[in-house]
Amino acid sequence: MRIMRTRAAAAAAGVGLALSLAACGEAGTDTATEGGDYEVAENAADNFDDGTKMKELAESGEVTIGVKYDQPGIGFKGATDDIPVGFDPEIGKILAASLGIPVDDITWKETISDNREPFLQEGEVDLVIASYSITDERRAIVGQAGPYYVTGQQLMVPADSDIDSLDDVKGTEVCSVTGSTSLDNIEAEGATPRGFDTYSECVDQVLNGTVDAMTTDGAILLGYVAEHPDDLKVVVDPFSEERYGVGYSKDSPEMCQWISDTINEAYDNGDWESAFKATLGESGVDTPEPPEFDACEA
Amino acid sequence: MDDIANDPGLVLNAFWVTIQLAVLSGLASLVLGTLLAAMRVGPVAVLARFGTVYVSIVRNTPLLVIFVLVFIAAPTLDLLVKTPFLVKGVIALTIYTSAFVCEAIRAGINSVSLGQAEAARAIGLTFGATMTQVVLPQAFRATVPPLASVLIALAKNTSVAAAFGLAEATARMRGLTNNNADDRWLIFITFAIGYIIIVEIMSAGAISLERRWRVTR
Amino acid sequence: MTEPLVVLDHVDKWFGELHVLQDINMSIARGEVVVVIGPSGSGKSTLCRTINRLETIDKGTITLDGKPLPAEGKALAAHRAEVGMVFQSFNLFAHKTILENVTLGPIKVRGTDKAAAEKQARQLLDRVGVGNQADKYPAQLSGGQQQRVAIARALAMEPKVMLFDEPTSALDPEMIKEVLDVMVDLAQGGMTMVVVTHEMGFARTAADRVVFMADGQVVEENTPDEFFSNAQSGRAQDFLSKILKH
Repeated sequence: MRIMRTRAAAAAAGVGLALSLAACGEAGTDTATEGGDYEVAENAADNFDDGTKMKELAESGEVTIGVKYDQPGIGFKGATDDIPVGFDPEIGKILAASLGIPVDDITWKETISDNREPFLQEGEVDLVIASYSITDERRAIVGQAGPYYVTGQQLMVPADSDIDSLDDVKGTEVCSVTGSTSLDNIEAEGATPRGFDTYSECVDQVLNGTVDAMTTDGAILLGYVAEHPDDLKVVVDPFSEERYGVGYSKDSPEMCQWISDTINEAYDNGDWESAFKATLGESGVDTPEPPEFDACEA
Repeated sequence: MDDIANDPGLVLNAFWVTIQLAVLSGLASLVLGTLLAAMRVGPVAVLARFGTVYVSIVRNTPLLVIFVLVFIAAPTLDLLVKTPFLVKGVIALTIYTSAFVCEAIRAGINSVSLGQAEAARAIGLTFGATMTQVVLPQAFRATVPPLASVLIALAKNTSVAAAFGLAEATARMRGLTNNNADDRWLIFITFAIGYIIIVEIMSAGAISLERRWRVTR
Repeated sequence: MTEPLVVLDHVDKWFGELHVLQDINMSIARGEVVVVIGPSGSGKSTLCRTINRLETIDKGTITLDGKPLPAEGKALAAHRAEVGMVFQSFNLFAHKTILENVTLGPIKVRGTDKAAAEKQARQLLDRVGVGNQADKYPAQLSGGQQQRVAIARALAMEPKVMLFDEPTSALDPEMIKEVLDVMVDLAQGGMTMVVVTHEMGFARTAADRVVFMADGQVVEENTPDEFFSNAQSGRAQDFLSKILKH
């Protein structure tokens, strides 16, 4: 699932107002609690060959990771939070731990959809873990290791809505975040796409009846349903496949195998599962089978 | 660039929404802005006060906030819930732009010498007829350059609607850049050219109006 | 001629601290031509402008044909339609042709149909001698021509009284006569006129009465012959001596 959030600074005044208006419906940060403690590798630098990016990071003892700040359950940072919470930051902690870097030494940076590639290319961040769907276009300019999570697009409608299959969206108005692939997909199903700047604005539009449905990644929708169980419901089986990957710079292709190995290890030792349960799992979804990684280019 | 190449209609449709927003809001703003200007220069103190307050509030409010009020806040009060999105976009843009139209026209009115209005009143024209027959036609001439700037700003301000459910040019551009990370510059340039074309057409219109009205003097 | 057409009764006006009209009492009979003269700042233009309420007054009453001046709105507009006004700076509508300048009032105020209004306008323009300029714009005419159009514009409303506020002061000398000729013609045709001017020749020729103002007061009024040959007040004698030297 690719989600856009742009116009950050310019929007400050308006969004501030929107947030205060939407305060009661705002996605709480408490849906995602502090994740698991991952075992931080000791003398990690010794595990990597000279000249690799991993060695450089392990030796410096610091890593910068780009995540989303506006997706409950996936990557979210409330105004009062010190660090972002969600499944993506948990994956970041697992990767940092394998470099011998504790949580406190991770620098989090907000990435929006438009700046993920530039941030990697310019070395602004070392890793992007930001609901970053793997696509051929993106792999042409940056590295993407994964998938570490596979999700799919669903619909969220008012509890009393008649919409219960994808066919029903024809001729309706469906909101999501402006520029997202979700909107393109729902438009292809015959709905009128209504893009908003944030998920909370979109949720409000569904709640007050301005639009008929909201669409995006099912995990995010479930988070909102958990907040309004009497008013909202998720309908329709996932109708797209979004494979989240970890972004890295093409200058350091060696990172692919490291990311793959580290997360596969987390699959085996239960870290991945505890990360999921502490975040996306909070909204009531069962922990899925961990997806199989694509092979790294040799 | 595949998406644009495969579906040039997508770009044209996106700009069609932009143009609808700009034209409808532009016409509505000209009407409302003219009324506001007439209130501000008119003899009725209450209306003059209203016009002044309206302009100072709206001019000091970011356009984005007005969009938030119309699209996000109003529906929570059960207002504008079933109003079509395009209409809401026109409402938000008109609320904002009419304040600037008002001030451009008021400047134009002030550029018309007092004697013109006095002469009109002296032959028995009412305030309304004095404005429509004598003052405004002359004020509009002086107003063409500043009004053109206001309307050009409006054409670009339609992009704010991208974040409020309207699939206009900027919203489409965001979708395309999101899906085609490797072709961002080409997409940006394509859409920038679209906006440039719209603005250039408006400038050309303003210049020809100025020229035509100058000849009839 | 028993009942006066325009009556000013104890009229006072202040511009802030300045008492520009001080207890003015004046009545103008039907068909009478009153010339108001006086040094600049004497209040004569202000007096003229109060009669169609382009200037409001603070005290007293002004009546036209027995009816007091309305305060605002449509009634005031109707009153102004009865009172013709000619300005120092012509004030022709710059965006309208000469013909349109003259027909605007009849069409918009009187509801006259366009053809009839144009016919009347062409007659008036012929009468003031600019009939061949009908399709031009004001800026294409000389000052004297513009002022004659302004007179035609006022006449098109068939006013009960005509006010002239220094009608020749903005004109080059060679154009003054063409405007004064039109005014003399009007006066001889029986039009009621209030004329603020420095043209003593016009006052002698056409006026029934000369009113001399200074410092917001009517100092002296008399027939032109009496006034010019035998002014009573020192202020008037002083003023005349300065004017007539030129």
